[in-house]
Amino acid sequence: MKSERTEEYLEAMYKRQETENPVSTSSLAADLAVSLPAVTDMMRRLEVNGLIDYTHNKGASLTKEGERIALSVVRRHRLWERFLVDILGMRWDEVHDEACRLEHAMSPETAEKLASLLGKAADTCPHGYPIPDKEGHITHEKISPLSMFKPGQKVCVSAVAIESPKLLRNIEKWGLKPKTVVSIENKDSDGTMQLKLDNRVIAIKKEAADSLLVKPFLIDKDTASAVAIPMSELKTGESAVVKSYKGDRSALGRLLCMGFTPGSLVKMVKNFSGDPVLIKIRSTEVALDHTMAGRMMVVRKKDEC
Amino acid sequence: MALAGTPNVGKSTVFNLLTGLSQHVGNWPGKTVEQKTGVLRHNDLTIQLVDLPGTYSLTANSLEEQIARDYLAKEKPDLAVVVLNAASLERNLYFVAEMSELCPRLLIALNMMDVAQQEGIKIDSNALQSALNIPVIPLIARKNQGVKELADAIAHECKEPSTTRATIHIEAGKDIEADIAHVEESLTYEDTAPYPRHWAAMKLLEGDSQIGKLLNDRLPPDRRAELDSFLSERESAAITMAGLRFDWVRSVLSSAQEYPSTGRISLTERLDRAATHPILGLVLLLGVMGLVFLAVYGIGVPLQHFLQVSLIERVQNLISFNPVWLQSLLANGILGGVGTVLTFIPIIFLFFMAWGLMEDIGYTARVAFVTDRYMHLIGLHGKSSLPLILGFGCNVPAVMGTRIIESKRARILTVLLAPFMPCTARMAVVAAVAAAVFGGWAIVISLGAIAFSLVVLAISGLIIGRFIMKGKRDALMIELPLYHSPCIKTIGLSSWQRTEVFIKRAGTVIVAISLVIWLLSYFPGGGVEHSYLADIGRWLEPVGRLMGLNWQLLTALLTSFMAKENTIATLGVLLGQQHAGLTQALHGMLTPAAAIAFIVAQVLFIPCAATAIMIRREIGWRWMAFSIGFQLALSFSLAILVFQIAKLVGIGV
Repeated sequence: MKSERTEEYLEAMYKRQETENPVSTSSLAADLAVSLPAVTDMMRRLEVNGLIDYTHNKGASLTKEGERIALSVVRRHRLWERFLVDILGMRWDEVHDEACRLEHAMSPETAEKLASLLGKAADTCPHGYPIPDKEGHITHEKISPLSMFKPGQKVCVSAVAIESPKLLRNIEKWGLKPKTVVSIENKDSDGTMQLKLDNRVIAIKKEAADSLLVKPFLIDKDTASAVAIPMSELKTGESAVVKSYKGDRSALGRLLCMGFTPGSLVKMVKNFSGDPVLIKIRSTEVALDHTMAGRMMVVRKKDEC
Repeated sequence: MALAGTPNVGKSTVFNLLTGLSQHVGNWPGKTVEQKTGVLRHNDLTIQLVDLPGTYSLTANSLEEQIARDYLAKEKPDLAVVVLNAASLERNLYFVAEMSELCPRLLIALNMMDVAQQEGIKIDSNALQSALNIPVIPLIARKNQGVKELADAIAHECKEPSTTRATIHIEAGKDIEADIAHVEESLTYEDTAPYPRHWAAMKLLEGDSQIGKLLNDRLPPDRRAELDSFLSERESAAITMAGLRFDWVRSVLSSAQEYPSTGRISLTERLDRAATHPILGLVLLLGVMGLVFLAVYGIGVPLQHFLQVSLIERVQNLISFNPVWLQSLLANGILGGVGTVLTFIPIIFLFFMAWGLMEDIGYTARVAFVTDRYMHLIGLHGKSSLPLILGFGCNVPAVMGTRIIESKRARILTVLLAPFMPCTARMAVVAAVAAAVFGGWAIVISLGAIAFSLVVLAISGLIIGRFIMKGKRDALMIELPLYHSPCIKTIGLSSWQRTEVFIKRAGTVIVAISLVIWLLSYFPGGGVEHSYLADIGRWLEPVGRLMGLNWQLLTALLTSFMAKENTIATLGVLLGQQHAGLTQALHGMLTPAAAIAFIVAQVLFIPCAATAIMIRREIGWRWMAFSIGFQLALSFSLAILVFQIAKLVGIGV
């Protein structure tokens, strides 16, 4: 196993390389908050070990081996973040530093155990960045800051910059976590943007819009063609949006006050044949008779990207 | 003032903490819904508190909702405290929106802050207060935190009503506003009294049947028809209005609440993997019920024994004077009845405790979920299963417990089926007879008797549901609350209150019935053998012969009306034998076929007096009479059938 410091450098270089290649020693010094001579010193050692290609004045880039190690560190880091949030219930703005410490202490075997505990669905870190697989493959998507988009466009939040915990908290409060679809209503001259999501409109400043990394959401590719189906036909784990009611209206009043209004998001928690269906609606689980669930027409939610 | 809230918010705990022991428990006038009233004393103030039934809305979907809103509209309480569950604020604030439409002065008790925290939900109660313009007091009632502040706030509101009224303004779309105004103008204030006119107009648009009925009597036919045609064109108004209320809730919450990060696996989810699993869930239920019965009988039976031996029997032994009939009247007639009541008390109390615990933790909703599919077989849904399961222990809490079922039809049916559950007292008789006649096979016969009872229960459920009661089985809809630790004090108090209801309602009647049975069994001959009761038994003998039973057995069966276990005692007296002697006597007297017929008759025989009284209390004397008649007919005809078939085939005669 490589030393903790080696791993830190390679990880920092990997992240820098996304925007800057080769990476200059001064950027690296800033990222890692160490002195320039210390970076230069470390660069030489990494080059001797064959982990980077280093040219004194131009900067450094990772070799294949260097990148492999860097990706394995990134993998461990993001798995830990996921674990801290999903299992331990920590807040997403407080897990980065903790994961930085934990990532070096874990063997590859333990990392795989952790990955299988988290399950296949955990393919990104809580902030939306992809987790490399154990062979070191990572899926790259083209994502850009929200501030680059225009009013009228519909985008999907992919990831958020993690530098400021305060901003992360705000993003959470606004409900702009990764995989949320928003449409841009308006953009002021100072860069303040008005966004619409779930029938509400929020305004965010330019700094926040800069740190939200999004990709265009191809409008209605999925949703428009989607057909309304009875809610009882959703499979366990599927989400959908309530559209309308059909048939007997005697139970309508009871359904409405439980929160099943058109536009509300439902998630099928359990659907075994014979048992009532178990549905999550407005952060409560409700057991519903199959026939009653069948009277509610929903559209499968593919609004997530 | 009134205390309101949706189910699963810890409202009764808050009520108990505010009123202490100054509570009165009864029914709402003319309704079988529990009404609790109490007094809150705060310094020099005395405030009357009424606990409204827990409801999700104020549209008349159920009896509870009707009671709650009628109280608010007719009694116009000075203040309504709405208890909310901080862990499911979104739905709870919907209820606040509905409350604000009918009751201008509100105060919010934001309960279960700890559960919300455990779920990772962060709530800023100050932000909530300013968004609602209603005082918000955060509290954890279970741990008695924040209750003093709540009492202070209530007293403050009562002394100097804050000028700020709840300014909950649901931004109704223009169309809806116009529709409401139209309906409102077509009605007079007298038409909708005691309900506010604007509110009534809204409810009419929401399709509220009760307001509709009210207007049927008050409006001339032409205006009524006009209104109806307008309303029928606005069928979607209910959906629109609910949507608007939820939009308002969202806007309030956006400033006051942070949702937990997604994908997190909570304790509830982990427990529910087992508790709502179609197979594991049943295994768990079996285990939990096993524990409950063990605990109830582990504690209850020694208590019963203590009450019987050290209280009743000691007093009975003290009574010895002439004339003998007076001594017997006191010892057997009156004290016997008192003893019967006493022996019920520990069992009923403990069953209610166990039930309250499961309810408070949040487990009962899961029981309803996993048993729902089986209850469909008898035309009921999951909510009926728990009362019926408790019936295995004792039919009395089973009947009383049916109050959790909202639908009237399902409730009546469940009450009628509860006495088919083979309670422990009945099984004791079955076991004794089976042991006497079948020896080593007694266990098989006893289990068979249980299975037989359940089959008859299912078939009766189908028959009564299909042919005797109108309407369809209604659909299950039940919230699965988050699991949380229970509040023992609240459970203990409410269990005792329910037991008290039983003592008050059934106590005197049971003693009276005991007296009558004593009279019948003592006169004119001075003993059971030569009594009116025995005469009835002899008179019934022709029927008895059809099922292979003599008059002694029939008389014993009749005395089981007092309490099921009395059958054995009566047989002992009539056959002049006790214990081993009785076993011998039964063995000699009953052929296997007759024994089976007797067991069939015994398990299906009419509900015991205590159960019958509770049936009357829950669903009225007509249904009680039906229950007694139905079971009597079923019990005798099936016993005759069994015996005659055995005779025809020639087995065990």
